[in-house]
Amino acid sequence: MTCELTLRDVRSVARIVNLAHRFNCRCTHVTANAGATVSARFAFDGAELALTRLRAQIDRIVAYETVPS
Amino acid sequence: MTGAQAVVAALEREGVETIFGYPGGAIMPLYDALYEHPVRHILVRHEAAAAFAASGYARTSGRTGVCCATSGPGATNLVTGLLDAMMDSVPLVAITGQVRSELMGTDGFQEADVCAITQAVTKRNMLVDHVDRIGETIAEAFALARAGRPGPVLVDIPNDVLKAQTDVTAAAMKPFARSGAGEPRVSDAAVRDAVARIRSARRPVAIIGGGVRAGAVDLYRMFVAMLGLPHTATINGLGAAAPGDPSYLGMLGMHGLKAANKAVQRADLILALGMRFDDRVTGKPDRFAREAVVVHADIDATEFNKIISADVALHGDLCHTLHALIDELAHGHVPRFDDWSAEARLLGGSLPSDRVGEGVLSATDALDRFFAALPPDAIITTDVGQHQMWAAQRARPAHPRKYATSAGLGAMGFGFPAAIGAAYANPGTPVYAIVGDGGFQMSLPELATLRRYDVPAKVVLIDNQNLGMVRQWQELFFSQRYSATNLADNPDFVAIARAYGIDAYAISEPSGADETIARFVASRGPALLHCACHPTENVWPMIPAGMTVDDLMEARA
Repeated sequence: MTCELTLRDVRSVARIVNLAHRFNCRCTHVTANAGATVSARFAFDGAELALTRLRAQIDRIVAYETVPS
Repeated sequence: MTGAQAVVAALEREGVETIFGYPGGAIMPLYDALYEHPVRHILVRHEAAAAFAASGYARTSGRTGVCCATSGPGATNLVTGLLDAMMDSVPLVAITGQVRSELMGTDGFQEADVCAITQAVTKRNMLVDHVDRIGETIAEAFALARAGRPGPVLVDIPNDVLKAQTDVTAAAMKPFARSGAGEPRVSDAAVRDAVARIRSARRPVAIIGGGVRAGAVDLYRMFVAMLGLPHTATINGLGAAAPGDPSYLGMLGMHGLKAANKAVQRADLILALGMRFDDRVTGKPDRFAREAVVVHADIDATEFNKIISADVALHGDLCHTLHALIDELAHGHVPRFDDWSAEARLLGGSLPSDRVGEGVLSATDALDRFFAALPPDAIITTDVGQHQMWAAQRARPAHPRKYATSAGLGAMGFGFPAAIGAAYANPGTPVYAIVGDGGFQMSLPELATLRRYDVPAKVVLIDNQNLGMVRQWQELFFSQRYSATNLADNPDFVAIARAYGIDAYAISEPSGADETIARFVASRGPALLHCACHPTENVWPMIPAGMTVDDLMEARA
């Protein structure tokens, strides 16, 4: 599974890498360019269900970076 | 003003009246700003209790709970309470002092990388690196804690930032940028789909969870009454059912009521509302409600298809979702499920008993007598273990905000400090903590908090001289090898309470218990009721972990 994200907080990159471990997945690739925002690209290996759950949690981390308007 | 004064001003701006905390070196400037300030600080005796008290405050009021602690060990002691709030979706803001900026990263005295440590147990954390940003950071923390699915947010502030001067007054604090998407609103198409499923169902069952705390209680009661729908609750949904509602089947799950579990298993439609299919609810997911179509409503899209696949996902605030479902139903045929509801009620029967002989006090007997004496508006908090399940099986709280328990995390030591928080959030309302002898000993020092502030919270201590739930599992699944669960050498809890200046009552046999409980309930101010109970009573019914209602146990084999 790959995902490209625009993040507000560069620490979220580390959080997402750690999260893969929690879901028994493996982060096989990560690149991040930090400016006003962070452009990050990840690749993960793992069981299909675990990857689905991981992706949902990643979306939640991204959502929690901001407050709904 | 100083950074510390800016913190207090920001708290005032959020309407905060009470915070729970424990001072220490790095956070001393904040405590100086709190000195003789209208924002009331409650000194607990351990930082974990500060987080649990703030959680009890938030769970029973709907307002955001606030706790504070110093750097290093103070902050790390908050971690369990933060995770508890994360698991049970409780809005909490934690403020921690951090070592001076120039000491950060040097392994300074009482330094911990609190932001790294709490990343996984908060919605987000923020390190304030400049005094001018304190106000907007705290405002954002409160907004995020409350937004969408509520949860904990931590703000870490270095000591020098707390001491620095700022020209940014409370009135001129810059608002933070709300850059996120709006709150999700359930789609009309999904609502129409859900209502079509309801209209074609023959055996629907609603399951209500903690999401009902988002102000959805009245709408939920209207929804189930409109359909005559049999319904059940997760432990966080207790109190959602209207008092006396005959269609309510009680709590479901591992120690839930038989009728609730059997009805769910026989259902052809599950309406899962603001709940997340915890494993204590589902048992073995692929055998859970196998015949049912699942309509799942939640504000957090992460929950859809995480454990149980949803045939219809209703993504949005539960109030709006229920409103939309009721509106859509009202515009067409409104089915009634009274016959199925009556049938579902007959699937259960009375709770199985594990009581032993005449003259011996069982925990369930003590709790039955206590609940019979309880004022209807009382707030209950519980700790974790057997007493938690016995209470959940029996309690009929008038509202979900009348019942607080550490559900998802199951954190022992929660119940007593949570009751302190609940008492501050609900002045004039009777508050009772039901605790076991294990968890109470994790929070015993809070007797000093009760005494100092004369907090009108009372403790019902179910003392069976065991870590009872673990003992039960050892009996049933570990060949009766009782490893590290025997607490027969418990201290004299009545003497301990009295040493703290707390009134204490005791029952050890059924005879005279009602009179003692009545005096305890009627007493003013803090009090302890010690219930010396039979040590080997088990919680029944029980669906063993990873099993289904077909494997439900109602007694020892």
